[in-house]
Amino acid sequence: MATDARKKEILKGLYDAVVDFDEDKVVELSNAVLAEDVDAYEAIMDGLAAGMEHVGDLYANQEYFVPEVLMCSDALYAGLDILRPHLSGKEADVKGQVVIGTVEGDVHDIGKNLVKMMFDVAGFEVHDLGRDVKLEKFVEEQMKTDSEIVALSALMTTSMLAMPKVIEMIKARNPDAMIMVGGAPISQEVADNYGADGYAPNAANAVQEAIQMISRLREMGKA
Amino acid sequence: MDRVGGICKDKMAPHERVGALMMGQTPDRVPFNPFAMGFSSLNCGYTIESFYNDPQKSLNAQLWTAEQYGYEPVLLLGYAAYGGWEFGGEIKMPTSEWEGAPSVARHPVETEEDVEKLELPDVKTAGIIPISMEFSKLCDEMGLPILPGTSGDAITVASNITDVSLFCRWLMKKPELAHRLLRLATDHILEAYQYWVDTFGAQKIMAGLYVTVAANQILSPKQFEEFVLPYQYELHEKILGMGVQAGFMHICGEQNLNLPLIQQLPLGSPQQPVILSFGHEVDLEKAAEMFPDNIIAGNVEPQIIQNGTPEQVYEVTRIAIEKGKKAPGGFFLMPGCELPPMAPGYNIHTMMKAVNDFGFYD
Repeated sequence: MATDARKKEILKGLYDAVVDFDEDKVVELSNAVLAEDVDAYEAIMDGLAAGMEHVGDLYANQEYFVPEVLMCSDALYAGLDILRPHLSGKEADVKGQVVIGTVEGDVHDIGKNLVKMMFDVAGFEVHDLGRDVKLEKFVEEQMKTDSEIVALSALMTTSMLAMPKVIEMIKARNPDAMIMVGGAPISQEVADNYGADGYAPNAANAVQEAIQMISRLREMGKA
Repeated sequence: MDRVGGICKDKMAPHERVGALMMGQTPDRVPFNPFAMGFSSLNCGYTIESFYNDPQKSLNAQLWTAEQYGYEPVLLLGYAAYGGWEFGGEIKMPTSEWEGAPSVARHPVETEEDVEKLELPDVKTAGIIPISMEFSKLCDEMGLPILPGTSGDAITVASNITDVSLFCRWLMKKPELAHRLLRLATDHILEAYQYWVDTFGAQKIMAGLYVTVAANQILSPKQFEEFVLPYQYELHEKILGMGVQAGFMHICGEQNLNLPLIQQLPLGSPQQPVILSFGHEVDLEKAAEMFPDNIIAGNVEPQIIQNGTPEQVYEVTRIAIEKGKKAPGGFFLMPGCELPPMAPGYNIHTMMKAVNDFGFYD
């Protein structure tokens, strides 16, 4: 059993290793979490996820760019792969389910993958449909999995026009499904015009927005 | 050139206006080109796909759409996903309702081993080159300037040869692989330009130079300095050195942190003018201040042209014109990137109306 000081050291080490995109260090410290009986959930949330949140800030402040963020993401997943099987009880329960994909006509998926990662680390069950996803597929997957959230990504001005269409299709089958949209040409105004329930300008905000949307659903007694 | 009806108050023909701008003279009004590619095809009742695989339809669509709206044509048959198909991968032409341009369906490089095996393609048969060359011949027959359809953007070609996420990881972990792809991309672009120069003569050619993936939404200025600047410098130096008549450089997206590095590139001269086109993320006054010897172009946000009301489009166009008109090297009104193919026609008319209301020089 690690002492409090040692636990803090490990969590800080995980945080720093994600920020420094030091995958080997993340693996070493994640194994130390298990060996020294540190709580895996705390290690994920206060170490890996907290580090990734800082990475989001560094990207927003133009100190980190996509190559660095992708490396940080690789480091984070290396830790998640080790720690997630050791979650237990309530901590292992999923926070919600999300269907995610880049809409039809669009092959850009860096942004979508970063949002997916944030959902992963926040404990969501993620159904990733990939890129250039046929609109019907979003509807089918939402119905099949009964996911609370459908997250749609688009980078192109052409493919963004598919968003209001797919939102309409999903809502026609399941009015309670919450839809969030994001991507370079999307703004809050565009999201509102498209009838989306949520919009996030970046990956970190996407998860906060999703949690708020699920809370709204629960308040309405629908989740 | 006054005409009865419509909104045209022009004193010069489009070719005279662009000619004056390129010679460092003040035209009657700000020239305007909306970077209309797929839009042109749809506007003429063709498919977007035909813009990229049917040179005659592509030419007709671009000329007729320019004539319809009264803007200055700048003719091009090329695409941003250039490199994947040309180096042996597969391209997907835009055929569905939501696609606006070709995209790479299979990258020729998927592993580190593929990088070592990769070779320069035959420049006369690679990917879109035969189609684009045919388009250039049609332009030449009409006495129009020739903008080669090959890319002029080594980092974007390299990141189309492989998946951009993998390429970004190689920038960090395996820079030697990234440099090899950049070397091959640069050599290919230079070979393609030589092919165009040999076919038409350098003086008929306007060089297309771009930096797309280099945008700060993706890369840092430090990465620009290491992976973009040396190759882009070589492209500019050698292509302009071939004696082309002029250049058009599109500086795509958020590039504010890269501007001091872009200043270091060979950017033409009064005898060989290079138009610098900016995205909406770069302020036109700042661009004009940093590049006083160049013609500045831009930078109305494409998304607004597609989704905005005519009033919004008129206002953002007015702002761009009023800022751009002060550029000491001259100004060419354009969107910040390609006109969205599905943009409503009335918003192109609205931009033209703003040009007529605010674009005339005293």
